[in-house]
Amino acid sequence: MVVPDSTAVRDLGAVPLVALRGVWKVFESVTVLRGIDFDIRRGEVHALLGGNGSGKSTIVKIISGAYQPTAGSVEAGGHAQVLTSPAQAHAKGIYMVPQEPHIFPNLSVLENLTTGLAEDVAATEARARAIAQEIGLRVAFSAPGGSLSIANQQLVEIARGLMRNARVLILDEPTSSLTHHEVESLARQMRLLTARGIGILFISHRLDEVLAFSDRVSVLRDGRFVLAAPTAELSSERLIEAMLPEDYHACAEHVTTRPSTVRARPVLQVRGLSSQSFRDVSLEVHAGEVVGISGVVGSGRTELAEAIYGIDNTATGEVVINGTPAPRRSPRLCQEMGLSYVPEDRHANGIFLDLPSAQTISAALMALSGGRFMRPAQEIALANRFVQRLRIKLSSPMQVARTLSGGNQQKVVLAKALAPEPRVIILDEPTRGIDAHARQDVYRIIRELTDAGVGVVVISSEVSEIAEVSDRVLIMRRGRLHALPPGPIEVDHIANHIFAQTAEAQA
Amino acid sequence: MSRIFKSREFLVLLLLVGMILAVSTVNKAVLRPVTLINILNSSLFLMLIAIGQMFVILTRGIDVSVGAIAGVSAVIFGFALNAGFPLPVAMAAALLTGLLAGMVNAVGVVFVGIPPIIMTLGTLGIYRGLMRVLTGGSWIESIPRNIKALAVTRFASIPLMVWGVAVLVIVVAILMHRIRATRHFYAVGDNLDGAYLLGINTRRTRFIAFSLAGLFAGAAAIVFVGQIGFVPMQTGDGQELKAIAAVVLGGVSLMGGTGSIWSAVIGALFLTAVDSMMIFLRIPGSWNNAVAGAVLLAVVVLDYAIRRAAEKRRLTLRAAEMLRAETAMAPAGVQSEGRA
Amino acid sequence: MSNLRWLKSWEFALLVALMVELAVLGMINPAFLNVQNLLYSTSDFVHVIIAAVGLTLIIMTGGIDISGVSLMGLASIVLGLSFVAGAPIWLAVGVALAVGLLAGAFNGSVVANTDVNPLVITLAMLFLYSGVATGLPTLLDMLGFKAYGAGGFEAYQYEGINGLPKSFTWFGTGRIGWLPMPLVVTLVLTLIAGWLMGHTRFGRFLQLIGVNAEAARHTGVPLKRTLITVYALNGLAAAVAGLVLTAYFTSARSDLGAEALLNIITAVVLGGSSIYGGEGSVLGTFLAGLVLGYLRQGLLALGITSDVVPVIVGALLIGSVAGRIGLAALQRSRANRAAYETERQAVAANGE
Repeated sequence: MVVPDSTAVRDLGAVPLVALRGVWKVFESVTVLRGIDFDIRRGEVHALLGGNGSGKSTIVKIISGAYQPTAGSVEAGGHAQVLTSPAQAHAKGIYMVPQEPHIFPNLSVLENLTTGLAEDVAATEARARAIAQEIGLRVAFSAPGGSLSIANQQLVEIARGLMRNARVLILDEPTSSLTHHEVESLARQMRLLTARGIGILFISHRLDEVLAFSDRVSVLRDGRFVLAAPTAELSSERLIEAMLPEDYHACAEHVTTRPSTVRARPVLQVRGLSSQSFRDVSLEVHAGEVVGISGVVGSGRTELAEAIYGIDNTATGEVVINGTPAPRRSPRLCQEMGLSYVPEDRHANGIFLDLPSAQTISAALMALSGGRFMRPAQEIALANRFVQRLRIKLSSPMQVARTLSGGNQQKVVLAKALAPEPRVIILDEPTRGIDAHARQDVYRIIRELTDAGVGVVVISSEVSEIAEVSDRVLIMRRGRLHALPPGPIEVDHIANHIFAQTAEAQA
Repeated sequence: MSRIFKSREFLVLLLLVGMILAVSTVNKAVLRPVTLINILNSSLFLMLIAIGQMFVILTRGIDVSVGAIAGVSAVIFGFALNAGFPLPVAMAAALLTGLLAGMVNAVGVVFVGIPPIIMTLGTLGIYRGLMRVLTGGSWIESIPRNIKALAVTRFASIPLMVWGVAVLVIVVAILMHRIRATRHFYAVGDNLDGAYLLGINTRRTRFIAFSLAGLFAGAAAIVFVGQIGFVPMQTGDGQELKAIAAVVLGGVSLMGGTGSIWSAVIGALFLTAVDSMMIFLRIPGSWNNAVAGAVLLAVVVLDYAIRRAAEKRRLTLRAAEMLRAETAMAPAGVQSEGRA
Repeated sequence: MSNLRWLKSWEFALLVALMVELAVLGMINPAFLNVQNLLYSTSDFVHVIIAAVGLTLIIMTGGIDISGVSLMGLASIVLGLSFVAGAPIWLAVGVALAVGLLAGAFNGSVVANTDVNPLVITLAMLFLYSGVATGLPTLLDMLGFKAYGAGGFEAYQYEGINGLPKSFTWFGTGRIGWLPMPLVVTLVLTLIAGWLMGHTRFGRFLQLIGVNAEAARHTGVPLKRTLITVYALNGLAAAVAGLVLTAYFTSARSDLGAEALLNIITAVVLGGSSIYGGEGSVLGTFLAGLVLGYLRQGLLALGITSDVVPVIVGALLIGSVAGRIGLAALQRSRANRAAYETERQAVAANGE
C-alpha cells in the first residue's frame, strides 16, 4: 500500500486554489470519506481515480458545494470556507462540469449559457459569444439546448464555468460518452485552460487518458487515498496496482487457466436484426460460451441488447431463443424462454433500491407468467441460496438494497436475472462502477455459468474486460456488428478494431 | 417566428378560433362583438388564477389551493370595503391576503419538503374552512356599489376590468421577457438538480412561484367581487382544478419547463369559451364539465403523440449524426448541429 | 424484540390515535361513546374509506386518480337511471359497477399508454365523468325519456332519483348484528384490498412499479396490464362507494361524493402511503379514515361548527406528512453521526 507523501506534494506549488483538510462524509450510516486531504493548484490537471464506491463523486460534490462534510474543512484561496450551495462555490471560483451535462432542452443555447448569472443580458451575451468562440463552441445561440450533441453540451458546461470566472474546473468523467476524436479536442481545451492558470480536477476511469492529460494523480479506495504522486512518476501498472484491493492477487490466481466449455448447441440466434440504432445484426451464442461485444459508447450495443430482450419492440429481424423462434418479445416472454438480461444502468433499470434485497432477487421469478406469489419464508430461502452462490455481502436478505455497496447491488441484480435459470444471459457493462474485488466475483460467476452450459453475452466498453472473459469477440461499430478478425483475444488487437474507423468505412 | 406557430399556445388559439367559427355556422350570434367581449370578461377570474398557477407548474409544482385563496382574499376584500376602507386599501388587503396564503404553501413545500399536492390540498381545506369561519358561513353582501363600477364602466365598449387585466398580462409578459430571473422558473422545472448546480437559488425560485400563485389568486378575487358585487360562499370553488386544466391545455407541462403566460391566458379563454359555446348550441350547461374534460384529455393525449413523434425523429437524426461523426475523420472542428 | 416491531408501526400509531381521540371526545361528551352510535355514525363517512382504499392501491404504484369523486356520482346516477328505465335493481347495480370498472380501466389505459402525468389525466376524467353524470339525465330528458323519475325535474333537483327498492337501500341502512351494512361493505373491501396487497403477485407488482417502474419493466412485470387493472379496481371501489352512499341516502344523485376529495387523499396519506409510491398500507388507510371520520363526528357532537372541520383535516394532512419528514431527517442525521463516531474511533484505535 502506498501512503501519500504530503510534504513532497505540498512543495510543488504555492497556496492551492482549493483544498480539503481531514474531510469525513457519512451518508445513510455509510462512511464514504475517511478524513482525506486533497487539493487543486493553479495551472495543473489533478486526476482523481477510483472505483464508483470509492468516494470520488462525494469529493467532487463537497468541493462544488452540493454536500457539506460531516467533519473536516474546505479551503479556497488559503482560507477555510463553508460552501453550503453550488452558488457559493461559484463565488469562490469553483465550477463543476457534471458527468451528464445539465442542459435545459427547452431553453436556447444562449439561455443555457447565461441562466443563473446575475449580470444583465447584453453584457453576458457578448461575453458568452467570446467564450464560446474561445473554446470552440460553434452552434447557433438561438437553437434549443435539446438539439446539442453530447460534446457540445460539455462545452456549454465548460463555458458556464468560464462565464463565472472559475479558477477551478471539475470535469467529472468528461470523456465517458465522447468519441475518440472529441476526446482529443477536449484535451486541447484542457491544456489551453491550464495555461491560463486554471486548475482542473479531472476524473476518469480511463488510465491512458489520466496518464496523458494530468500533472498529478490521486487514487481513492474505500474513502481514503492510497496513492498520490506526480503523473511523471507513474505508469498504468502502478495505477492498476493501487486501485486493486490488497487481496487482489489471491483472486486473480483463478483467471489464468480457462478450459473451454463451449458446446455446439446454439442458445441464442439473431438474424438480420435492425432498428434506428443498429442495422442488420446477426449473431449466435452457444451453450457454455462467452461472447464479448465491445465498442464505444453510442455504437448501439445497449440498444441491441434491449431489442433482443424485447424492451424496444420496434426492431425488425429474427431472434431464436433456446431453439424457439421469438418473433414477438417482451422481458417476461424472453425470461420464460430462457433469456435474461442484466441492464447497464443498475439503479435506473435493475434494482429496487428501497425494498429488501430479497424482493429484488425474487422479482423476475415472481413476474414469470407461471410464477406464484412467494411467502416471506420462501422468498428469504431463495435469496439465501443466491447470497451464498454469488457471495453477496449483506446482513440479512431483508437488508434494504440502497444500503449495499455497488458491487453487492450488482450481484443482487444478477441474482434476480439468474433466478429463472436462464439458458442464455446478456450482461451489459456487468462491472461498471464496482470495486475490483466484486469484479473478480462477477468474472467467477460468469465462469460458473458457462461451466453449467449457460451461454453468456458480455457487453463492455472496457477492452480489458472483454479480453479477459470472452471466448469470442464481436465489435459494434456505427450500428453494425463485426466479428473480430482472426488473432489473439488481447487488448491491443481488440482496441485496434474498435477504433479502426475510416479506412474500411470509406472503402 | 416559426417557433410561435409551432407552439402549443398557437395550436390552442387556432382551436379556439376554429371552435367559435364552427359554432357560428349554427348560430351567427356568436360572432357579435358583445359575445366575444362577454367571453373575455367572464374569463378574467380564471385567467388570473391560471397565471398564478402557471408559475408553480413551470417549476414542476402544483397548487390546488388557489381557488380557496381567491375565496379568502375575496372575503377580506369584502370586509375591508364594508369597513369603509378606500378601494385601493381594500385591494391591497386582498392582494396581501393572497400573497400570505401563497407564502404559507411555499414554506411547507420549499422549507419543510412536503409534496406540493399534499401541502396545497391541506391548505385548500384550511383556507376554505377559514373563509367559512370568517364569514360565519353567510354571504357578504351590501358591498359599496362603487366597486361594481369597475366592471360596468366601459372604455371603447370593453369593460375597464378587461383593460386592467389586459394591461397586467402585458406587463407580466414583458417582465418575464426582460427579467433574467424568470428564466429560473423554467430552469428549475426543467432540471432541478441542474439548476441548483448552476448556482440558481432553487428554493427562492420555488418560493416565489408559490407566492405569486397566491398573489394572482388575490387579484382574481378583486376581479370576481368587482364583477358580481358580493362574496358568495362558493367563491373560487373548484376553480383550482379549472386553473390547472387551463394552464395545461395552454401548453405548460406538469413535468415543468415549458409554456408561457400565454398558455394561461389562452387556456382560460378556451375553457370559458367552451361554456359560452354550449349556450349558443343550446346544449344544457350540465354538459360543460364533460366537454372541458374531454377537450383537456384530447389535447394532452394529442400533445403526447406529437411529442413522441418528434422524439422519434430526433433520435433518428441523432443516430444519423452519430454515424457521420464516426465515419468522417474530419479535421479539428466541431459538428454544426443546431443551425437548422 | 422483533416480535414487538408492530408496536412501532404506523398502523399501530393510528390505532392509538383513534383510541385517544375517542377517549378525549368521550370525556368531553360521554354520550359520544355509545357503542351503537359509534358504529352507526360510520355510515356517514365510510364512502371516503372505500374510495381511499381503492386509491391506496394506485398511490402504491406512484400514480394518482382524483376522478373517483366524480365516479361516485356517475355510478349513483347510472344506477338511478337504469332503475327508472325499468331494469331490475340487481341489473342496475351491475351496470353502475360496470361503469365504474370500465371508467377506471379507461383512466388506467391512458395512464399506461402515455407519459402524461396521471394527475392531469384524471383531472380531465374528473371533469368528464362529473359532466356526464350531471348531463346524462338532462340528455335523456331531452330525448323524451322520463329520466328524472316520478317527481319530475323539480323533485329531482332536490332529492335525486327516489323510490329505490328496499332490497337495495338495505345496503345503506340495514345491518348485520351490530354492524351497519356500509361498514360491513367497507370491511370486506378493505380485507380484499389488504389481501391483494400483501399476499398476491398483483400486490407485489404494484409495489415494484411504485419503487422503480423502469426496473419493473426490465424485470418482466406486466406494466400496462397491472396499471390498467389497478385503475379499474379503483374505479370499481369508487362506484361501490357511490352506491353505498346512494343506498344510505335512499336516492341517486349525480353530485354524490363531490366534496370528498380532500378527505379521501388525507385518509390515504395519513394512513401511511407515500405519494411517491412504493409504500402504503390498506389497513393504515382504513384506520386513518376512521380517525378522520370520528373527528368530524366528534367535533359536531361538541357543537363545533362543521366549517372548522376542513381546517383540522387540512392541518392533519400537512402535519402528518411534515412530522414524518422531520422524523426521518432526524433519524438519518443521528445515524450518520453515530456511524462517523464509530468509524473515527476505529481509525484512531488503528493508529492511522
